[in-house]
Amino acid sequence: MIASKKIVLLGHFGVGKTSLIRRFVQDIFSKDYKVTIGVHISKKEVLISENKKVSLLLWDLEGHEDIKRTRPSYLLGTHGFIYVFDLSRPETYKALKTEIEHLKTHYKNVPIKVVGNKMDLVTKEHIKQNADVFDDFVDFFTSAKLGSRVELLFSKLAKELL
Amino acid sequence: MTLDTYKKNYHKNKFQYLLTNHLAVILESDDTLFVLEQKTALDDVHPFFESLLSLFKTKGETYHFSCVNLIVKGKDVIVDISIHNQDGNKNLVVIEDLTNHYNNYQLTAQTRNDSVINSQILELKNKYLLEKEDFKNTFITNFSHQLRNPITSIATFCNIISDTNLSAEQKNYLHIISSANTDLKNRIDDVLDIAKINSGQLILTKDVFSLATFLDEIVYEYKSLAANKNLDFSAEIDTKLPEFIEGDKFRLKQIIDNLMSNAITFTTKGSVGFHISLNYIRANKISLHIEVTDTGIGINPSDYDLVFERFAKIESPIQNDENIGLGLAIVKHLISEMGGNISIESQKNIGTKITCNLSLSTIPRTYKEPKKTASPKTFNFARKQNVLLIDASELTQLSVLKTLALEGNFYLEIVSNIAALSEILLKQEFDIILLSNKLGNHSAEELIKKVLKTSRDYKDVPKLILTPEISSTEIKRLIRVPNTDYIKTPFDKNILLETIYEYLKK
Ligand SMILES: Nc1nc2c(ncn2[C@@H]2O[C@H](COP(=O)(O)OP(=O)(O)O)[C@@H](O)[C@H]2O)c(=O)[nH]1
Ligand SMILES: [Mg+2]
Repeated sequence: MIASKKIVLLGHFGVGKTSLIRRFVQDIFSKDYKVTIGVHISKKEVLISENKKVSLLLWDLEGHEDIKRTRPSYLLGTHGFIYVFDLSRPETYKALKTEIEHLKTHYKNVPIKVVGNKMDLVTKEHIKQNADVFDDFVDFFTSAKLGSRVELLFSKLAKELL
Repeated sequence: MTLDTYKKNYHKNKFQYLLTNHLAVILESDDTLFVLEQKTALDDVHPFFESLLSLFKTKGETYHFSCVNLIVKGKDVIVDISIHNQDGNKNLVVIEDLTNHYNNYQLTAQTRNDSVINSQILELKNKYLLEKEDFKNTFITNFSHQLRNPITSIATFCNIISDTNLSAEQKNYLHIISSANTDLKNRIDDVLDIAKINSGQLILTKDVFSLATFLDEIVYEYKSLAANKNLDFSAEIDTKLPEFIEGDKFRLKQIIDNLMSNAITFTTKGSVGFHISLNYIRANKISLHIEVTDTGIGINPSDYDLVFERFAKIESPIQNDENIGLGLAIVKHLISEMGGNISIESQKNIGTKITCNLSLSTIPRTYKEPKKTASPKTFNFARKQNVLLIDASELTQLSVLKTLALEGNFYLEIVSNIAALSEILLKQEFDIILLSNKLGNHSAEELIKKVLKTSRDYKDVPKLILTPEISSTEIKRLIRVPNTDYIKTPFDKNILLETIYEYLKK
């Protein structure tokens, strides 16, 4: 039997959580924004090594400005978090540090990947200028639109979960 | 039907009840929403259940999940789901279809989120534009400042050459160079002013000055400029105007200069007029009314607004359009800073009348009028005066040297570093000290302190600071000390001499 792991995507609304999942699961992207309400769950199997598969259960949550407002039952039995923010909107990473620390204290042994998405909208300069915020926390800079580092993000996390 | 049956009917098509074992395998289902066969494992029905298998094994717990988007057997719904652990390793799963309810919520959330995101993006764009504007202003300011140095050199050396033996032809050429240079300097000053206005750094100063003298000078200046172009000039000055007022004399002059030189530039025959009168004095506010008239080319009414726009320039038949739009844009801003207004009346080829009102202040009660001094130039010294120049710039050294040498009244000593300063102060006494506002790392204040440390006698010796800007608070503070003053660089040699004579006479 293939092991299944629950992964929850968190972060403000509009940062690209849904888009990252759609890129990963269906390899499509749409520039239209449809607000996610509640939760959507999708599933995708990934090949970890030559003969090892894991099935990822991806919980795409409605975005909130404040992580504490997430419905707690959604987080039951989570194996891994992906915290997404929008590189092009400072509002979405203003409180990055507090949000991540909150997760780390309340879900001690659950791995977290922090993702700056919409890499295609910003310059390298922009990332350099915000190095003080990004350097310590961010694991991946992705673009759901271009598909950059999306596979990598999910497979890295999947490997850590086994 | 009874209430109870109504209730049952309503509930019936909204709720699905399922009974499962501890492995989430269906034991019984009422199939209200989806048809699910017995023995089906819920984790095969939807990954939602697959994620929560562990909850089916707990005891005595209830779990509630609201707003779960499910697609089951092609049916798209939004539901609330609760899992109730029952005795004997059984679980009751209740699924409530709330699709309509949540779809309404979705619409509200969509509008709200769209507008939040749009406003953040707008804010960001705005910030970006402001940064760009800021960059532009800083760039203009820095660059214009850099242009000033070479312009100053040209002006200084034109001055120096003009005192040498020149043929009439050479004098004429020199005059052309010199006025082109002045024109260039004025334009750069205008650009600097615009940059200051854009970045909110143009701040009016408040100094007491003689309005009477100020106006005399203006009338004198423009009478001769008009005469040069064979234009009639008329001036009307209200006798009710107070003799002294408080305000930014430099900026008031700039306003009048702009209006008057435009009038003269754009008029080829006829007359120009200057009129100033008192509107009223109320509390400590003096409201002035100024009119500048000409019989020049005029402006089309449709271009009135354009004249005051930052970089606008009206099509003009005169090739020599010295005063491109910038000047008037600055004037408009200065007048509004002085709490006033400006308006144009004009007829093409008949003439223009520009009217403005602006406010300055009455002099503070504590202000004492300075005693009138006789013209300093007539003064004769019993002996040659010792002048010390503390300045590292060769340009300044050379121009001070030239200016003083021609007078024949002075000995000049020059020091260009702090070590030399201490040395010379011990050896020699001076009647007046000219000092740069910056020598290496040393500010004017430090230089003055250094001088006073050598001997307290220097307290009474006039100290004139050569500085390009008097806006710095340090310089302003320094020149309040008796016997300390400033000369704005690049200096006019006459102003340098007048100031020196004036202080030596005291
Ligand atoms: N340019 C760009 N747009 C993106 C990217 N990811 C998402 N978007 C857009 O951002 C908006 C919000 O995306 P969505 O995935 O719904 O965000 P969510 O609220 O976090 O689920 C949509 O209009 C997407 O098309 C990206 O990598 N690049
Ligand atoms: Mg979403």
